[in-house]
Amino acid sequence: MENNTLDIIVCIKQVPMVSELPWNSKTGTLKRELAQGMMDPASRLALEAGLRLQRAGQSQDRRIRVTALTMGPPMAEEVLHQAVSLGADHGILLTDRKMAGADTNLTSFILGRYIRMFKPDTGLVLCGAQTSDSETAQVGPQLACELDFPAIGWASDIRLTQNALVVTRLVDDFMETLEMDLPGLVTIDLGAFVPRYAGLAGVAQAFASPKIDVVDADDLELDRNFNALEDSPTRILDVFSPATQKESRVLKGAAKTVVDQLFADYGKIISSAMGKDLKKK
Amino acid sequence: MDFNPCMKHQVVRKTVREFAENEIGPHAASLDREGRFPTEIIEKMGPLNYFGLQVPPSLGGAGLDTISYAIVIEELSRVCAALGLCVSVHNSVGLYPILRFGTDEQIARFVPDMAAGKHIGAFCLTEANAGSDAGGVETTAAKTEEGYTINGTKIFVTNGGVCDVVLVFAVDAGGKEQSRPNVFIVEKTCPGFSVGEIEDLCGMRANPVSSLFFEDCRIPETNLLGKPGQGLKIGLTALDTGRIGIAAQALGIAQAAFEAALSYAKERQQFNSPLTKFQTIQNYLADMATSIESSRMLLYRAAAAKDKGGDFGAQAAMAKLSCSATARTVTDLAVQIHGGYGYSREYDVERYFREAKVTQIYEGTSEVQKMVIARHLITRPS
Ligand SMILES: Cc1cc2nc3c(=O)[nH]c(=O)nc-3n(C[C@H](O)[C@H](O)[C@H](O)COP(=O)(O)OP(=O)(O)OC[C@H]3O[C@@H](n4cnc5c(N)ncnc54)[C@H](O)[C@@H]3O)c2cc1C
Repeated sequence: MENNTLDIIVCIKQVPMVSELPWNSKTGTLKRELAQGMMDPASRLALEAGLRLQRAGQSQDRRIRVTALTMGPPMAEEVLHQAVSLGADHGILLTDRKMAGADTNLTSFILGRYIRMFKPDTGLVLCGAQTSDSETAQVGPQLACELDFPAIGWASDIRLTQNALVVTRLVDDFMETLEMDLPGLVTIDLGAFVPRYAGLAGVAQAFASPKIDVVDADDLELDRNFNALEDSPTRILDVFSPATQKESRVLKGAAKTVVDQLFADYGKIISSAMGKDLKKK
Repeated sequence: MDFNPCMKHQVVRKTVREFAENEIGPHAASLDREGRFPTEIIEKMGPLNYFGLQVPPSLGGAGLDTISYAIVIEELSRVCAALGLCVSVHNSVGLYPILRFGTDEQIARFVPDMAAGKHIGAFCLTEANAGSDAGGVETTAAKTEEGYTINGTKIFVTNGGVCDVVLVFAVDAGGKEQSRPNVFIVEKTCPGFSVGEIEDLCGMRANPVSSLFFEDCRIPETNLLGKPGQGLKIGLTALDTGRIGIAAQALGIAQAAFEAALSYAKERQQFNSPLTKFQTIQNYLADMATSIESSRMLLYRAAAAKDKGGDFGAQAAMAKLSCSATARTVTDLAVQIHGGYGYSREYDVERYFREAKVTQIYEGTSEVQKMVIARHLITRPS
């Protein structure tokens, strides 16, 4: 971190809007080609975390720049405009046919390569803990490895001190507070914040003076034969919706007996849903 | 010619849809039932620039183009048409005339607070004896030493119950019989201004549409908008823009009704199959979708024509005529597809059905739109 300036990169994925997605019941897969894109919800919270640091920085006379970074098809540019509408200083789109089909390993490799080549002074990288479409939670930690950064996952709050970052995370039922030197990487958990809404002036401004750079495989000096789809070490063989078997049980008897039985049989599920162990006073 | 929405317009739509579905949607039915204007939602919308849609950023607005403006009203109305009405009227016939015809002093005095949503605007043309015929206005303005004194009653004023700044059409007091109307900017704080009862309407019940009374209402001389005698021109210009908003509102209602009908038809089973298996229902859905899409094209074309400059009045009238007719037929079919449930308050289509009708009445009835279109056809050089 150079004196009073901090460069933050927020990694944002465009994901299909699943609520509007037709589901092919024969193959059990989502018809992605019909999907509208949206900003992945956890990525949005990572952006929110970055924007809150940016605002806090203003009051402390600290210059904090937030760059939104995404890898995806050309239409993924939309999430960058949304990020700029929300307050990001600019956006970077990594797009190239050669990058298509990258698994989490190659995604992290490409994101990391961009940051090392073009943003070597990055002080903090923020990612969503996991994306709504693949839920691997792998890109954040792998990117930290690429950059050789320390990393903390599943943060629910972050705060800057003069030289470090204080991170709060929920582990089981406990809140944990950690301090991490920068540069570093943090992944933000769903539910960490209520993200802001974009103002319409922000949207108009984002398009009036576009702040998006497009970077391709040549810019990243990827090997001539690089092909993310073929080079990815992991492959998805099948995605299907497992047939669930719902079974109803009717508990009978006096209220106390029924409640006792309920907690005996389902206490674990209930307590994790409520956030505390209800059996213990 | 490219019929695909550009990325900006997609982002505008998604931005408004997200806000509307999260913040307004859960309350739309109860606001209608209670006839309550949601001040708490308006307060959230102000900082997000919903009340200064086409106001330049230097005055605190969003600086959007007209297609974006139409999309905003469409998306708000898809969720809550009464709020769509509030935002449309405020932006188009309340605020826009001040921006367009106001002096620098008037713009500086009124626009920033209106664009921030701190002051809500309204437009008062209609009177007991002046509806479609704007020439029938009987409200008078008398020139005094300090300014003007206004006397008269305006009816059916959208946002009337909550307005802070209103544009009032009035003729010269005691002047020549054929005095041409002027437009005055009246603030609710002006002495002699008061709000009548809120109308008990068929739809748009969350909007406090009311009468406004002007009893020796005194306003400063600097509150005359435009040049003397320019009132009709200001009114017609405002309504041309306003019609794009009302067309967008109608389209939003139609879209909501169509989505509700489609999803209901997929789920509802009769004769051992979903309604979507019946050809008659398929025809309804096809007609609804076709009508919506063709109206949408007319609307965006009118909006684009406004941005290009030049006369867009006939296109705006066509858009309003078409979108409001679409809203009527689509909401009617949506109720039909829902059967008895569609006639129950439990389902939103009943509200859409009540809301759609008025889009064929205000800001010029459908009959008046045809007069505007026909005048354009007949008088334009062949
Ligand atoms: C909810 C609501 C909100 C409103 N908000 C506002 C507002 O904010 N500001 C405002 O000023 N007004 C407002 N209005 C009033 C609205 O604009 C008028 O109701 C509308 O212009 C029609 O006028 P009218 O009701 O007097 O009908 P009339 O003019 O009496 O018309 C009655 C019928 O005769 C037809 N007709 C009239 N003249 C002709 C003709 N020459 N040829 C053929 N047919 C004709 C009309 O189309 C209509 O079908 C609002 C109305 C409603 C219901």
